[in-house]
Amino acid sequence: MTVMRDKVVKDLVDITVKSDQDGLIPNFNVLVNQLPTTFWNSFAERMLAAAPPERREALEKALVQCAYECGYHTGYGIITSEEFKAVVMPMVTEGAKDVLRGAYAVFTAWGWAKSGIMQIHEGERMTIRASDYYEADGSKSDRKRAYMVRGISAAFFELAYSDPYPNGMNKFRCEQTKGIECGDAFGEFVVTKM
Amino acid sequence: MTLEIKHTFDEKNFRHYLNGFNMVLHCHHYMSLTTKLAIDFDDIGGTRILSESAEDSVRPLLEDYIRNHKISGDERLRIGAEFYSLMGMGKMEISGNAGAGNVKLQKSHVDSGWLKKWGNHDNPVNYFTRGYIAAVFGASFDKPARSYRVTENEAIVAGANTSSFTVEMVQV
Repeated sequence: MTVMRDKVVKDLVDITVKSDQDGLIPNFNVLVNQLPTTFWNSFAERMLAAAPPERREALEKALVQCAYECGYHTGYGIITSEEFKAVVMPMVTEGAKDVLRGAYAVFTAWGWAKSGIMQIHEGERMTIRASDYYEADGSKSDRKRAYMVRGISAAFFELAYSDPYPNGMNKFRCEQTKGIECGDAFGEFVVTKM
Repeated sequence: MTLEIKHTFDEKNFRHYLNGFNMVLHCHHYMSLTTKLAIDFDDIGGTRILSESAEDSVRPLLEDYIRNHKISGDERLRIGAEFYSLMGMGKMEISGNAGAGNVKLQKSHVDSGWLKKWGNHDNPVNYFTRGYIAAVFGASFDKPARSYRVTENEAIVAGANTSSFTVEMVQV
């Protein structure tokens, strides 16, 4: 047995995300929010539109960095959470590779991207494909804009194969090689060593 | 009043919908880092863009609910406060009329997240909620976007027990 994404997604979706008496959602060892996808997309698009050409690269880097740091800390919270232990760990038979598959299943269950690992050379390189992701919503673009998927993918790979948390950051990078927002049939993301 | 929410999960594309609006789960790290990015890029309008993105993305959801449930009067403001909690953004007390209002946060996702990540900050950072409040007032009193100026006067992140905001109508 290995981690079956669709089963994990369905099991996790059944764990209702409900706010507590303080209007907060403490879950997976973090505070969760559930906001319209249009909020995150509008923010990124409007920032890029406002940035002069010479600042765009720095801005895009910063957008990826937000997701990367989030992915590293929240990813750790996810894979050490009770929910993960209950739903995913019983299916883990291939060590780090399966934990990574489980993390992507959570990634999918949270509504980030319908994504999965296409190819993996453990500790070296990974290719992710996403047939749907909210960052592709909206108008077509010349620029690949799945900043969140990029950041999270580098972070998840580090959690699986870099030094133990919290000392494993800045060892891998992720590039987006295809984008639905650019007219491709799917998004593709390649994680490699820095 | 308890909100009537229909949560659906699209099993083809694995997306979440609340009353037909596509929603996504994120965490306090992402919100804190996004807020920090907006502050760092404020020379190109970062914090304003963050607030306006919140206002424009939340408002359709509120208006849809108000319309479909025939909500009127003060109840509209309360609906805004309930959605705020539903989204995990905290606990809001809200009052006012078409011209002005006051909002207090007993709890705040943005402030709690920032505190967890970096500790206290000298200035308020809740730009998301400024936009959210503008959306609630705009939807409640049928005013166009950017009709309200929202100012955060006290902030949990700066050491106050609660965050407080004043709301003023401006000419658009």
